[in-house]
Amino acid sequence: MAAEDRDRRSAGWLFGSSLRPIVYGLLIVGALVQVYPIFFLLMNTFKTDTQILNTPFSLPTRFSLAAYIDVWTGDRTGMFFGRYFLNSVIVVIATLVLMLVISSLCGYAMARGQFPGNSTLHQALLLSLAVPAHALAIPLYFFVGDLGLRNSLVGLTLVYATIGAPFTIILMRAYFMHLPVELEEAARIDGCGRLGVFLRIVAPISRGPIAGMAIININWIWSELFFSLILMNKVDVRTLPLAIALYKPAPMTVETVLGLQYAAMAIATIPVLIMFFLFQRQIASGMTMGAFK
Amino acid sequence: MRRNLRPSPSSTSAALPGLGSSGKKQPTLFHIRKALPWYLFIAPASLMLLALLAYPLIDTLRLSLFKWGGLGPQTFVGLRNFVKLFGDEIFWLALRNSFIFAIVVPFFTVSLGLFLGVAISRRLKGWQIYRIAFFIPVMMSGVVVATLWANMFEFNHGLFNTVLRGIGLDGLAQNWLGDRNVALISVMLVPIWQSVGFPMIVLLAAIEGIPQDMHDAATMDGVNEWQRIWGLILPLIKPVLASITMLSIIGAMKVFDLVLVMTKGGPAFSTQVLGYYLFETAFRSGDFGYGSAIAVVMFMVVFVIAYGYVRGVRIESVEY
Repeated sequence: MAAEDRDRRSAGWLFGSSLRPIVYGLLIVGALVQVYPIFFLLMNTFKTDTQILNTPFSLPTRFSLAAYIDVWTGDRTGMFFGRYFLNSVIVVIATLVLMLVISSLCGYAMARGQFPGNSTLHQALLLSLAVPAHALAIPLYFFVGDLGLRNSLVGLTLVYATIGAPFTIILMRAYFMHLPVELEEAARIDGCGRLGVFLRIVAPISRGPIAGMAIININWIWSELFFSLILMNKVDVRTLPLAIALYKPAPMTVETVLGLQYAAMAIATIPVLIMFFLFQRQIASGMTMGAFK
Repeated sequence: MRRNLRPSPSSTSAALPGLGSSGKKQPTLFHIRKALPWYLFIAPASLMLLALLAYPLIDTLRLSLFKWGGLGPQTFVGLRNFVKLFGDEIFWLALRNSFIFAIVVPFFTVSLGLFLGVAISRRLKGWQIYRIAFFIPVMMSGVVVATLWANMFEFNHGLFNTVLRGIGLDGLAQNWLGDRNVALISVMLVPIWQSVGFPMIVLLAAIEGIPQDMHDAATMDGVNEWQRIWGLILPLIKPVLASITMLSIIGAMKVFDLVLVMTKGGPAFSTQVLGYYLFETAFRSGDFGYGSAIAVVMFMVVFVIAYGYVRGVRIESVEY
């Protein structure tokens, strides 16, 4: 009833207004401008270079996955996008697991525990949100090198998990503070230790918010270029964004250079699109929460 | 209660429980014993943050006072790196461009996003489609978007020039990324295209969070829709509008991927920005001390803006 009311009333303002066609025009043109380049990207993966360059608006004449297979295997291009895809997937999953474990432990302690340094830690985390990651790059490059973790997915994972941790900890802390404490107290009386309570009671009921944190973070990890560029110099440890940024097929081996480049871009984009349509609602609310970063 | 459990500032008994005075020993020991499990909880995160965030940050500050090629000895040069920065034309260009980025891009994304958010919240026909269309690019990786647009901007066969020549406007065809008067504008179009959906989705959530009875009250007062937008919606979403603006400014200040993929700072440094200049100086020219000085400036600029923002917004309390 209320929703109906609202719809009727809200429809009224534009129906009566001379601005209505302008607003609709802007929305429709805008939506086309937003979607067309992505459509263009996907269509170009099925075209030859000549078609891409000379008839950019034509639809592909054939829908073969040849370009995808070529970049995925890398046999002819020397660019092994299957490998890069796997690297990216590994880094994303490892970063999320590590970051969520350390962040929820830390956030839980900050919400429940009374210990000297708790509020100092909170202040420090707030401060660290304001630090641009670029300002860490030079020492990190040498430090990660000293640890022997340059050109290693482990090194990249540690860096990503650290960069994402402060924000995740602050949000997890806020969540745990709102979580009723009674269940945990009951378990404590039954002789459960702090860690036991966390693992058996708190973590299972917090699956939702923890998954929400994963959704907030997954996108930037999948897209991250700067640290990957600095830390990953060897070809076979590249992540997808780095491999696309440095795309340069071996000369004279392939005639469809552009088509393959578009296929590589599609390989990075299609999982994102699938995720978007599967988790649209969660992503939107996660982004909204993330906006208060 | 909580205060009483804390060690008094005059006593170091928190760190050294055995040395506390006899009067305070009992509660402190008890307290330490109680606190110990919590320290184990925060240990992994704290260690990682100390090693990979706090230490590099301090080391950047230190390195900015040195001359260092990455290998061999580091030579202390005091503030000479900063003096050199002061006279470095490319640095000033980079700083200027970063600020242009941080003003122009958020101006367009936030105002367009606000327009879209309002329009979609009024449930215009097809609102679900607009919401999805404007949001999809937000999800895409910056490198893919930059590469895609670089191809579309290409002079001979790029989409834009093909269209312009096709409709007889050859004169408007540009060397989008190769002309120093146009390149910065071209590069800035890309994040505007990509991220307009972000303020849209956040502002939409804020608008939809406005309680229905406030709308009803306004309706009863007989407001028209302009008054509803300017008098009711805008004042109520002002905090969210402010934070999304700040966030966009901070994001634009840190631009890197786009510049690397599309222009490498050129032509003639017309698209040079702080993040890319830092990268070039340190990791391409191998001048790590001077690069650290650029990093320090970038840190200070971003930190001042971002810290004001972090203080201004209470992250925990925002709920829509």
